[in-house]
Amino acid sequence: MLEINQLCFRYAPNETQWRFNITVPKGQCLAIQGPSGSGKSTLLSLIAGFLSPDEGQIFWDQHPIHTLYPWQRPVTSVFQEHNLFEHLDVFSNIGLGIHPGLKLTPSQRKAIDSGLERTGLAGFGARMPGELSGGQRQRVALLRALLRQQPILLLDEPMTGLDPETRAILYDMVLEEKQRGVTMLLASHDNEERRTLADIQWNL
Amino acid sequence: MANEVQAPPFSHPRWQLWPGLVIGSGLLLLAGLGLGSLLQASGASDAGRLLAGSYFQNVIRFTLWQAFLSVILSLGIALPVAFALNRFRAFPGRALVLRLLELSLVLPTIVAVSGLIAVFGRQGWFTALLDAGLPGHGWNLYGLNGILLAHVFFNAPLAARILLQALETVPAPRLRVASQLGLHGWWLWRAVHWPALKPVLPGLAALVFTLCFTSFAIIMTLGGGPRTTTLEVAIYQALRFEFDFTQAALFALCQLAICGSLWFLVFRKRLDTAFMPNRQLSQPASLVRGKWFGVACGLVLAAFIVFLMTPLVAIAVRGLPALIPMNEPIALYHQLLPATARSLLIAVPAGVGAVAVALLTLAAANRASGRWLAVIPAMTGYLPLIVPPLVLGTGLFIFLKPQLGNPMQGWSLVALINGLMAVPFTLQVLRGPVSSLDSASKNQADQLGVLGWYRWRWLYWPILRRPIALALAYGIALSLGDFGVIALFGSPGQPTLPVLLYQQLGSYRMTEAAGTGLWLLLVLISIFASLSGVSSPSSGKGSGAIKPVPEPDHA
Repeated sequence: MLEINQLCFRYAPNETQWRFNITVPKGQCLAIQGPSGSGKSTLLSLIAGFLSPDEGQIFWDQHPIHTLYPWQRPVTSVFQEHNLFEHLDVFSNIGLGIHPGLKLTPSQRKAIDSGLERTGLAGFGARMPGELSGGQRQRVALLRALLRQQPILLLDEPMTGLDPETRAILYDMVLEEKQRGVTMLLASHDNEERRTLADIQWNL
Repeated sequence: MANEVQAPPFSHPRWQLWPGLVIGSGLLLLAGLGLGSLLQASGASDAGRLLAGSYFQNVIRFTLWQAFLSVILSLGIALPVAFALNRFRAFPGRALVLRLLELSLVLPTIVAVSGLIAVFGRQGWFTALLDAGLPGHGWNLYGLNGILLAHVFFNAPLAARILLQALETVPAPRLRVASQLGLHGWWLWRAVHWPALKPVLPGLAALVFTLCFTSFAIIMTLGGGPRTTTLEVAIYQALRFEFDFTQAALFALCQLAICGSLWFLVFRKRLDTAFMPNRQLSQPASLVRGKWFGVACGLVLAAFIVFLMTPLVAIAVRGLPALIPMNEPIALYHQLLPATARSLLIAVPAGVGAVAVALLTLAAANRASGRWLAVIPAMTGYLPLIVPPLVLGTGLFIFLKPQLGNPMQGWSLVALINGLMAVPFTLQVLRGPVSSLDSASKNQADQLGVLGWYRWRWLYWPILRRPIALALAYGIALSLGDFGVIALFGSPGQPTLPVLLYQQLGSYRMTEAAGTGLWLLLVLISIFASLSGVSSPSSGKGSGAIKPVPEPDHA
């Protein structure tokens, strides 16, 4: 269970303060909606550890995780864009998610190849992100997130601006993960996306 | 749960912070030591009388005056050149012109000066033309004329390169708007060009001023009389000929105070200059052009290229017969080859060191928090510009007291100081690429645990490979052309290439000097050519050349 307890944050001393109180049961998907600037991305960045809260706690399975560094937290994020390292090929981009020094076992290499095949990107391992379409890039980003096998998945408008076919592929990938027991937070403007993926909806 | 990996090697933040801090403090210590040991060696003496003396005041006045004129002339020439290059992108050889501009940064002063003498000197091509067209003109290269000419020759291309880069950072959407509105003349300048140039101009002016203020080899060869001496030359003369340590230390302190306060002003406004382009932008929109605009741009560029090329051509034309002698081919190379070996022995470690110091300094600057901690790595980038290398060298020399007669110690000292002197330049080459890693990528890397050595290997090294090769080329080249420190420590019997050239010029063996100059130029060009062969990772496989980063397509 992911518990966010009285989490407070403000960007500058005299700006409005956000306060978050959320609980997400294990294996469920919480959709957050709200207009731009309502704090959706801020909340996800706080959980990932990219921002540090002024006060409050985050618990995962009763363990506090708000004191950990981003790389120590059991989370993976997928953003709307800039998920990939532009100067590294697709295979390295995914591989760095499995081992941060790209020291991969043969079975991990095979997992990447079969993952690419499963998402319709067979043979794309040597391509650079710049040569891919927006939908293909998001598939790579999501595949990396899934192969990391972290228990919490943070989705920050990952499908905004994509065509319906790509969305369908990504929905399948996300739903499969949820079935495996991954807990998710989804920030999204899109009704259909929230209906398809979310168990709980929450307005900011 | 992902498999728990061990902490990556060198992932503790201290590995980013401490090496840079240690180097920065070491440099500060070295500068302090240099000045301190000079003052100590000088013993008690009369500082006030020295400062009030007419020699000192003349030197200060001339140093300031020539630096001021050099800045005005260099920027005045660089601005139209940068404009012409910015507006005309499609002419053949533009890339070559850009290389030519960059060459000026590393061209050894003494080589360039010998080229300038060949064109503008008493028997020069230009002077011959002037004699024919305008008898009794009274042109004389030696003195203020020559100093300004040489300073413009070095600094106008550098300034043009930096200004061009600033002009190229104008965002494409702004250019499109200006194009659609048909802006031209004053309003084009106000709306598009001035906002791009404004942030770099003060830093650029300060840089050119500092380079001209601390000019050494140019003054030694083209000026030199008591009326045309700069502080840096006065320090050299005090140390080398008069053994007057008090005078040297006082002059060095003056130089530090003047250049230091200049940079302090620039820093206060948080201005920065970058020497090298670090981003490529999408296709620029075409702007309104006047009828004579193209002709004017073409003339400006042609004149500037002729100005830059003729000394180089003169070096080549005069040097070739010396390098390919008909009757006794061995004699010249007896001197040249050992001198080349000695030069490389000093320059390669200096270049490698300069790149390493620059990288560690940038890491520390990114990591350092707090006002005072951040000052130390920032100093590393500017202190070598304003502390006379001779002072650093003399300080070390007095402090270490190496046994005389062991050239290795003198040379390693020279390599160390040359390396430090090259740091501001390698730092500028590397600063842009190091900071080009955007915050989204850094966040991603944090989450994936790509830290320490892994972050360097997978995120920085692929981006930095090419800039590092370029920085290394600059570091080696700057050190290879050095004539300042080596003049103090080198033994005349075992000259490096620039010292050999100076000796030949000094004894009027002009053919040999031309040969040595050309040889030095060829060595430099081959260093650049071999190091620019390093490819970037994305061009290695598949796609070929680096494409401009496409703008993100939003919903």
